[in-house]
Amino acid sequence: MGRQAATNVRAGAEGTGSVREVQALSPSRKLELVNSSKREKILEGMLEAVGAEGYDATSVRTVLARTGLYRQAFYDHFADKEACYLAALEMGIGRLEATMARAAASEESWRGRLRAGLGALLDRLDAEPDFGRGVIVEVHAAGPQALARRAEALKRAADFIDLARLDAGESESPPQIAPEGIVAGIHAIVHSRLSTGATEGFRALLPEFMYFAVLPYFGADAAGAEMQAARA
Amino acid sequence: MDSPSTSNPEAPLDRHELPRAYSVRTERERLMEAMVRVSAAKGYEATTVDDIVEYAGATRETFDELYGDKETCFLEAYEAVFDVLVAHVTAAFEAASASAWPEQTEAGLRALVELLAMEADIARMAMVEVTAAGDDARERYRAMFSRFTPFLEKGRTYSGQDAELPADTARFAIGGATSMIFDEVRAGRGPELKRILPDLVFAVLMPYLGPEAAEDEMRRVTREA
Repeated sequence: MGRQAATNVRAGAEGTGSVREVQALSPSRKLELVNSSKREKILEGMLEAVGAEGYDATSVRTVLARTGLYRQAFYDHFADKEACYLAALEMGIGRLEATMARAAASEESWRGRLRAGLGALLDRLDAEPDFGRGVIVEVHAAGPQALARRAEALKRAADFIDLARLDAGESESPPQIAPEGIVAGIHAIVHSRLSTGATEGFRALLPEFMYFAVLPYFGADAAGAEMQAARA
Repeated sequence: MDSPSTSNPEAPLDRHELPRAYSVRTERERLMEAMVRVSAAKGYEATTVDDIVEYAGATRETFDELYGDKETCFLEAYEAVFDVLVAHVTAAFEAASASAWPEQTEAGLRALVELLAMEADIARMAMVEVTAAGDDARERYRAMFSRFTPFLEKGRTYSGQDAELPADTARFAIGGATSMIFDEVRAGRGPELKRILPDLVFAVLMPYLGPEAAEDEMRRVTREA
């Protein structure tokens, strides 16, 4: 997850660089920057529109209305709504993963990293529920390619969770299916809250998520202790 | 669904003489069936009302009169399909009521995968296409699966640690299991769904019983397969 997240941070292009650096650029590179910020604006508008109104109800026009850009700006970058959503989904997943990776970076242990990462994810959902809905819920309406991106992201999450095996004793190692079940179960709870229109209270889910993730690798006592610790 | 009452069951059926209520009901059923078959084959998005009407051998007017739009028809068909799934699983769970909760749950899961494996279109429609059929359908999907919650929540008492288990335990267990089924069906492996029964047993029992007991059950299911 570390390497992937680092790539995502770069791909996320979260506006860095001083004014002087920008002034020193060639005109074509400046144009490129303007275009990439337009592109990003469209992608953000797409995720918010889809999150607020649903994928089916969202049109290129509603995205443009949110961003204040002209039609041409949209079609300079994307062939259609579907292509735009797919790019927006990739950006959204990348940002969520980067948020989690940044929060986890200062932690040493698997549990510490998971607690920090999941906590950051839940904070982000509390702060931007429409963004969360656009990425996590509406992906189901957007066709097979979007579902493939979703599956890849869940796989990466499961791979990270399964690093717990390194910390757990050999004898306690759960079946191969365990990490997939953890990710799917946690995902189902988040998904259900988001799709019933919840706009807050995500952070409060952290203790039980930690319980569910710790349980298969370290047993009920450790999971219970972890849940208590996360509640504090 | 109950059969129509006719004065003489031996008499040859002539469609034109049947009471209108009868032909309306059967057209409704034929349209629902068509929705299951066509949306499973083409995907919900690509399915049109014309496809449904043609498959059912009905008229557009009848469709409009009964449903009005594709989504309404899909939702009704979905509920009908899910009623069958729930009845089937409930029956298996009840039939195993002499056994302890883990075996009962396993019996229910076995019934679910056997039915889904046998009925590829139902599996596709009820597990995969429903998630593409709009907000109402997804809401219904969640509501339908929560019908399995009472069976699972018996695990709270069985585990002896009801108070310590998180509030969302049933949702976590169902989420894990449905996601595994979703992946298999979407990948076209619905007919071999029984292969993942041990995984499903682990995913559903683990949150209640902990990893060791759940793995024991999983091994037992694998041995019996």
